[in-house]
Amino acid sequence: MVLFFQLLIDGLASGAIYASLALALVLIFRATRIVNFGQGEMATLSAYCAWQLCEWGVPIALSLLIVGAASFLLGVLVFRAVIKPVSKASTETVVVVTLGLFVFFQALCLWLWGADQRAFPAMFPGGGWDILGVRVTASTLGILLVLLCLAATMGAIFRFTRLGLAMRASAYSSEKSLLVGIRVERMLMLGWGFAATTGFIAAALVGPRLFLSPTMMMPILLYALASATLGGWDSPLGALVGGLIVGVAESLGATFLPFIGADLRVVIPIAVTLVILLVRPVGLFGSSTVVKV
Amino acid sequence: MNILTVRDLSAGYGATDVLHKVNFTVEQGTIVALLGANGAGKTTILRALSGLLPSRGVVEFGGTDLRQCSPARRVELGLAHIPQGRGTFGDFSVEENLAAGAFTIRDKKQIAEDMERWYSVFPRLAERRRQQAGSLSGGEQQMLALARALMSRPKLLMCDEPSLGLAPAITEQIFEIFKSLNDEHGMTLLIVEQNADLTLQFAHTAYVMEAGDITVSGLASELLSNEAVQQSYLGV
Amino acid sequence: MNGTRMFQSAPAVLVASVALCLPVLAPDFMLFEFSIAVSYGIAILGLNLLLGFSGQICLAQGALFGIGAYTTAIFNVNFGMDPIVTLPFAAIVTSLIGVLIGLPALRLQGLQLAIVTFGVASAFPQLLLKMDSITGGVTGLAIDQPMAPRWFPGSQELWLYGLSLICAAASVFMLSRLLRGDTGRLLRALRDNPLVAESLGVNLTKGRLAAFAASSALAGLGGGLFCILNGFISPQSFLPMKSIDILIGGIVGGITSMAGAFIGAVFIVFVPGWTTAINPALGGLIYGLCLIAMMMVARQGIAGLPIGRGLQALKHLFNKKGLSRVSGAVPGQLGGE
Repeated sequence: MVLFFQLLIDGLASGAIYASLALALVLIFRATRIVNFGQGEMATLSAYCAWQLCEWGVPIALSLLIVGAASFLLGVLVFRAVIKPVSKASTETVVVVTLGLFVFFQALCLWLWGADQRAFPAMFPGGGWDILGVRVTASTLGILLVLLCLAATMGAIFRFTRLGLAMRASAYSSEKSLLVGIRVERMLMLGWGFAATTGFIAAALVGPRLFLSPTMMMPILLYALASATLGGWDSPLGALVGGLIVGVAESLGATFLPFIGADLRVVIPIAVTLVILLVRPVGLFGSSTVVKV
Repeated sequence: MNILTVRDLSAGYGATDVLHKVNFTVEQGTIVALLGANGAGKTTILRALSGLLPSRGVVEFGGTDLRQCSPARRVELGLAHIPQGRGTFGDFSVEENLAAGAFTIRDKKQIAEDMERWYSVFPRLAERRRQQAGSLSGGEQQMLALARALMSRPKLLMCDEPSLGLAPAITEQIFEIFKSLNDEHGMTLLIVEQNADLTLQFAHTAYVMEAGDITVSGLASELLSNEAVQQSYLGV
Repeated sequence: MNGTRMFQSAPAVLVASVALCLPVLAPDFMLFEFSIAVSYGIAILGLNLLLGFSGQICLAQGALFGIGAYTTAIFNVNFGMDPIVTLPFAAIVTSLIGVLIGLPALRLQGLQLAIVTFGVASAFPQLLLKMDSITGGVTGLAIDQPMAPRWFPGSQELWLYGLSLICAAASVFMLSRLLRGDTGRLLRALRDNPLVAESLGVNLTKGRLAAFAASSALAGLGGGLFCILNGFISPQSFLPMKSIDILIGGIVGGITSMAGAFIGAVFIVFVPGWTTAINPALGGLIYGLCLIAMMMVARQGIAGLPIGRGLQALKHLFNKKGLSRVSGAVPGQLGGE
């Protein structure tokens, strides 16, 4: 039983990371009906930038802030330069373009920083607590807190601000939004910006757990895709819940299902994706609009 | 005084033009009907006016040339467009729809006042403030679409087929509201309709469209009584 | 685009003649790389069938390629079969597995299929490691490469190159027959408008499955050939990037062109080779930019661009001349419409 709870806690911690990348994917999907396969690699670039600033002697908190803002600009830039020109094209075209982003940003990191792994500075203190034999580290708690703050901020923006209303409206229907005077394109751009910053938060959370490498977000992307599918592609709340469920499922499955084990844990998100697509294609919290894609 | 002047307006989808150099005007403080059969280009005119479709020609609205204006700017200038099929945000609550409608208004107090004002005009909406717009009946949705458009304090309200899919009694109710907006607030309305008889009873002037061009224009009362027009254009 | 026309188009003739002249022009080691390119080209043909003709995006083509390669290797290592004889089996086994992946795809739309197949591509190397009793795990499998017979005058590389060309020719032949026949018509109808096609009685399920089966069979054949050419395979050869490489090849060459498949394959084999000498990341940068730029400007791919367009312009020129002569002889008749 202790093992079970330990795995649950560990699963929630990795789930929080999947959830934040899934949230980034969902933000973009809601805004532009695009699944951005390059999201993880954009986040990797941001994480490298933060690491580089720290190496140059900038305090970690400040460098996280700077890069958070820079990531926003990166998202906006990618939207303007690459996504807007193909926004009316077919699904296949857009998927290929975002795969292009994936390849491009991965290569860019490799080019700028090489294949060597770098140690990302720790953001949370090293200690932890034993609660009835279950070890809860400060970093686990920190990651969950960050996710909670992220969720609360996003929720508040969407629910209570003019900007949030406009972003939701643009996601619902660009034409109807134009007719009430919302500058839809600007909203989509902001959506990409927010997503890039959210993705960076995911990468900054992963950073200290793994090492920085140009390919570090590739597996995370797979889990995030599964989380977003599970939660529903147009639901930010779904992305969060989906991420946590996938994290826990992975952690429990890898231990308790002998035929999967540690080396085949990657099968778990695929299985989750397939099952949810066949049983309830819109996801747990999604609305029916997504299926029409 | 004309609030809207349209000269040589051409627009279409892709390479083909649906509108061929259309000319018409809307006088301040009147109800103008734009009639014609399915596919005559009525909806295209409204979409071109609100900037959803690229167009060529001159469109002057309250002294401003609209050609350089984005759709959002046109709303700010006082042009409201209720599209066919309501144009409400289905998964927003009634209140959120009204808030979205007031997107171009910065003054929070004014928004709150307007909201209460339209709630008093449409008590059904007041009862359903927190309900999702998508769950309202057709008539309630049309009222919500109307209230939503009014939230932007328009000078000209354009409405595309308000009667579509509504029971005759409810359609009549909607038209009564149009009339009172015009009577009490001096609102200018441009109404696109297939239901010519009803619309002509409420409108001051009317234009009849045929194959992308305006072929007949005149006072609504004249069109209503002119049998030749009735037979050849309105298919009554 | 029509299958017959595609096969007879100018790029196809050009690619075929270059392929036939290569043994004279290129040194043996380059022949080996061209042979590898041909094996990728066959897999790209399959991808084009899915993407270009039925509008389905499959990101697991590299995994299917790997299944073909492992089928050949396992049949050779475990049952002592001649590697060349295993090629049809590689195609059939991969086709069956492709249909298994395609079954859920029947219910999935474009994006969802991309997500699922991306997952399959990511899991494939792990699966290979897990099933190490038959796949050899990390160490991989080495096969007995088929040797050139004694009567063959050329080098071993030339012999393998010839084998690759025969496989490619067979694939192109089968595919163009498929596209010309009922299945081709069905696929085109499905791509252009699935709803209308279905309401006209076209069997969506049958069409999509057929596309998946044929596409996977080609991937498997390409993979089997790759295994023979390389003589050795391991999970390292079939990382998720392989699927993206194959997609890049397809896009760069042009997803509705058979000749383009091989042009794209040459691109993905040679570009990283040339660029890693300068910087290991350069290839990736070029790839990424190519994918994005191709989608934004040149959706027809390379095969649709310079040669094709040049010829079209020439044809246009001739036609114009022909026309003006006619209209000169009978003034006003052509303009009278």
